[in-house]
Amino acid sequence: MTVSKAFWKIALKNIGTIIMYTVILVMFGTMNMSASNSSISYEAKKPAIVIFNNDENVGMTKNFTDYLAKNAEIKTGYIDDDHLKDALFYEDVILVVEIPKYFHQDITFGRNPEVKIRASSGYSAELAKVVVKRYLSTAVAYAKMNLSEEELAGKISATLEKETHVEIASKVDTAKYSKATRYFSFANYTILACVITIICLIMISFNRLQIRKRNLVSSIDIEKMNRVLLRNCCIYAIGVWLFYLALGLIVLGADVLISAYGLIYALNSLIFCACATTIAFLISQLVANQNAVNGLMNVVALGSSFLCGAFVPAEYLPDSVLAFAHILPSYYYIDNNNRVMNLESFDFQSLWPIILNALIMIAYIAVFIIATNIISKKRQKIA
Amino acid sequence: MFWHNFKYAFKTLIKSKELVFWTLAFPFILAVLFNLAFARLHDYDVFEPFNIAIVDDENFQENVFYRAAFNSVGTAGDEQLFNIQYVDKDEAESLLENDKIEGFVYIADAEAHVKIKTNGTNQTVLKTATEQISQYVTMADDMAEDKSFISRAKVLESIAKVEPNIKEESKVMNVVVIEFYTLIAMACMQGAMLSVELTNRCLPNLSNRGKRVATAPTRKSTMLVSSLAAGYVMLFVSLMFLILFMHFILGVEFGNNIGFILLLAAVGGLTAMMLGMLLSVTFKTNEAVKNVIVVIVTMVGCLFAGMFGGMKIYFDNLCPWFNRVSPAGLITDGFYSLYYYEDPSRYFINLFSLLAVALIFFALSVRNLRKARYDSI
Repeated sequence: MTVSKAFWKIALKNIGTIIMYTVILVMFGTMNMSASNSSISYEAKKPAIVIFNNDENVGMTKNFTDYLAKNAEIKTGYIDDDHLKDALFYEDVILVVEIPKYFHQDITFGRNPEVKIRASSGYSAELAKVVVKRYLSTAVAYAKMNLSEEELAGKISATLEKETHVEIASKVDTAKYSKATRYFSFANYTILACVITIICLIMISFNRLQIRKRNLVSSIDIEKMNRVLLRNCCIYAIGVWLFYLALGLIVLGADVLISAYGLIYALNSLIFCACATTIAFLISQLVANQNAVNGLMNVVALGSSFLCGAFVPAEYLPDSVLAFAHILPSYYYIDNNNRVMNLESFDFQSLWPIILNALIMIAYIAVFIIATNIISKKRQKIA
Repeated sequence: MFWHNFKYAFKTLIKSKELVFWTLAFPFILAVLFNLAFARLHDYDVFEPFNIAIVDDENFQENVFYRAAFNSVGTAGDEQLFNIQYVDKDEAESLLENDKIEGFVYIADAEAHVKIKTNGTNQTVLKTATEQISQYVTMADDMAEDKSFISRAKVLESIAKVEPNIKEESKVMNVVVIEFYTLIAMACMQGAMLSVELTNRCLPNLSNRGKRVATAPTRKSTMLVSSLAAGYVMLFVSLMFLILFMHFILGVEFGNNIGFILLLAAVGGLTAMMLGMLLSVTFKTNEAVKNVIVVIVTMVGCLFAGMFGGMKIYFDNLCPWFNRVSPAGLITDGFYSLYYYEDPSRYFINLFSLLAVALIFFALSVRNLRKARYDSI
């Protein structure tokens, strides 16, 4: 009880820092998730196109702009060229199409008018170019038939309306859960940073040489004290976890989180929270200075987040980086988040890879606790 | 006295492990992590053919045009899109189930159908290419004078040769560079931490050393300026090494004007030092809390400037003024304008805005410093 009291007394003393860190980091994660991220997301979606039409919007020109509107998201409101250039760079706009004057007459008479385009980089830009190229190729090919403008427009529309039937094998709506996967994967950083910073802040107070000496000569068993401290650290970590889940409910919606999928996401993050707590406990035994803890926390939290796919999806990471990431508990946590998204059924066979990853994280927890106790005992002798 | 204090301030700084870590080691560690994490992200823009399957059944064998078209996009060369396996439908399903292919194509009712497991870029490419082939076949049917095989084949050949007159004026760009620019902005902002430490040392209400400085028979401004100058030199040298490391070892592009690049880093570092001084003289609290404020200002600024996934546009729409006054936003935009724009006017707008911000921080700091009076310490 005395240990618990001291723990929360120190926590209360630093309540400003705790609230500031926890809120900032959790909000950081939430904002990151809310922002659309074109550079690291390659989901099939209509490309954002800006049209500069120097021709009258009639006949073939109207047919072309209608086709673009159907196959792309038409964006407007770019006040100047710099604004547009920025949008292209940051992939807010994928393609800019400039329709020349007399376009509708030139197309009708088979003159193949010059259409200027500016594209951003990447796959989406290539696909957007295909959309434009496909229309113009079809128009130029049909124009050889000497049709009237109306007939030509009709033929082009009929051809381009022909869509390929696509069957999706997976019964799961991955788009629905991809946001949740991103949210919980980012939590790798948030949880590690919140838990390590605050727990170390409190634990370092207990580990100050004079305090430690006082504790060592007291009647309390050192292992029991460690257990009580660990329990209180867990209570704090659960608080962070609940806070993150509550924000998740707002950001992701109840239909995602209050479901079997949501339960697995929550349990997975709870296990990882426990793992982060034991990591924090271990670091606090190794480092005696708060500034050093901040440095170490950033290296551990940012390092594991970058290497295991918390910020950039794992499929875009080099194989060598992923191979190295296997030694970090974050890898198994993030891998589970990715697996939940694609989970089709909840039988044992489908859940086994997720359970296996969870067991690996639990094994890490055991290793960190043992390591903490060994170091703590060694320090006891040194003191 | 200036150089004497400068020398000792510099010595104590490089002996402080924490400060050396934050200003020297941490940005380098992050640069390496960024490089590892984002390296393949940009490589993804380079198209590589991917695996698909085609159900090689009676329907496919009968349709000569589909056979010819898929053969052309599946053969090694400039136009290759896919690595194609010709299999029966059961095997195609099994390959898809085991993630060996991105999707497969089968012909039913004289139409091409695509089956995929989930949505994605490669799946979109497969759908688009199949759709284009189907549309060409439809056009050939439509345009052929008679419906004979030879006539359709002729038309199809001529359609394939049609080259629309598209003039592309795109610039080659790599959005990932923004991550590295925000990292330099972050490294500049670490100067605020140096400045907090150095200013605290000169303030009698914040440190014992400050009390000694206050009672020493030297000009306080000389002590403060020489200490800050030592911190600034250390920061600028570390920034220079960071930029050189990024450019020559990690291959990050910055544009061609090395003078402008270093000038921006120098002004960025100066602004951060002024911010640290302002925080130090304004908040009468311990150094840890001031450092937390520095971390928050830095991280929020870098996040808004585009760190962790290029969300600058999102935040610009949310809060358009923020990146025009935030030091991290101005530094990032300055590097971006050097990389992306040929005209340096935007670079200079960022540079002068940074200088203005630094001047405001400096003026506020001086005002707060001059207000300080101690009856007893």
